[in-house]
Amino acid sequence: MGHYRKNFTNIVRLNLLLLCVVLTSCKSTLNVVGNFPTPVVNQMPFSIGVVLGPEFTNFQYIEAEEDRDEWDISVGKAQTQLFDVVLTAMFSDVATSQSLQEMPDKSIDLFFQPSLENFQYNVPNETKGKMYEVWLKYNLKVFDAQQQLLADWILTAYGKTPTAFLKSQEDGLNEAMVIALRDLGAGIALRFGHVPEINQWLKKKQEALQASIPPLKFNNPNINK
Amino acid sequence: MNKYFNHQLTLLSIICLCCGLSGCTTVTIDQVQHQEIELVQGDSIVVIGRRSGSDYETEPELISCIGEVLAKSNTSLNVIPEEDFVDRLYPWFEPRTAPTQVRDLSRLLSYDKIAALIDDYQVQYIVWVDGNTEKTRSAGSISCGLSATGVACFGFGTWDTKSEYEATIWNYKTRQLVGKVSSVADGTSYMPAVVVPIPIIAPVQADACKAMAYQLGNFFGEKSVNSPEQNTK
Repeated sequence: MGHYRKNFTNIVRLNLLLLCVVLTSCKSTLNVVGNFPTPVVNQMPFSIGVVLGPEFTNFQYIEAEEDRDEWDISVGKAQTQLFDVVLTAMFSDVATSQSLQEMPDKSIDLFFQPSLENFQYNVPNETKGKMYEVWLKYNLKVFDAQQQLLADWILTAYGKTPTAFLKSQEDGLNEAMVIALRDLGAGIALRFGHVPEINQWLKKKQEALQASIPPLKFNNPNINK
Repeated sequence: MNKYFNHQLTLLSIICLCCGLSGCTTVTIDQVQHQEIELVQGDSIVVIGRRSGSDYETEPELISCIGEVLAKSNTSLNVIPEEDFVDRLYPWFEPRTAPTQVRDLSRLLSYDKIAALIDDYQVQYIVWVDGNTEKTRSAGSISCGLSATGVACFGFGTWDTKSEYEATIWNYKTRQLVGKVSSVADGTSYMPAVVVPIPIIAPVQADACKAMAYQLGNFFGEKSVNSPEQNTK
């Protein structure tokens, strides 16, 4: 009889433990991780100084709305990695600093300062198509060698991924984030030269380079002819 | 002792029966061919998902499945994995930058670097797969309860799933549309629950994949690809 009572107590304890695990409030934490391939673009023969402040490199989104699940999403490391890969492929020389004033003392043709203005996401139970969606809005500023503002534009990026069997919420949202960051990288790599002010600047530089060094081949498909 | 073994044997039989059960799927395949296929030894095919739809997403696992079934069916058919191809040609085959029409290929290939990379792969055909799998109807209910002896569920649930995919085949060398293959699969899954829920799942997406790969195999002149069981399973 004592043996059965002991078993019964153990089963009750196990069930209570399971109940506690199920009822524990769930906070999802995501540290976005991804591999970003090197873009296939013609490298421009200019040096660029990239300003990535701590608010950019440590960007973290904490869900504040009470009617949504709790999420703590760290994007800073992944977006820093993406800018590093993309800009290194686009420019012959890249220097990074936390502010314009702290830039290394060397000849730099352009300064580039990105900032993440808006971050939005949806999880499957919030979308009609049962997908993870991420929307990013960046403000991109480019300064000339004298640190005068040359161009200031908005670039949005979007990523979505379907739900899959045995895929956790964190994995699903991470995948959508990586797709959105790849979309951002595509936008920078392919549209940088199409921003009118930058296009003008690149044309002038190209003419100057061709005048000083005749055989130099500088043929970038991203510049409007 | 015998009673104990009989009980275990019955339980094992029920589990084996449940594992062997699967729902029914109906698959319809169709194709249009505009041109003859010209594949020589060493030529490659790349299967890529079209992801420009706003309210659905072509599943990466479906694309991998089609590629794997095609590649396994015939070792002479070189199928390039989607991820390798898209990463190597980043950012030109991303959802918002990929060529949507065959004539866009000419514009893309005017950039020497991209043309050289695609030539390295010896790509002859590019297969774009567009579509998705979704649950179309669900009914029934299952309720689970926690008691001193454990968790127990009772009820019955059923749902319909539909897969619709269309593959568009481009000839990379001639920059022409070669043809289209479509695969539509419908299936109903069931989940009776008497203490333990027993899922009887219809493998709709997997059957749509096999059907698409079979038809693509035929399209590219491969007759040895195993045909999925026709129409009903």
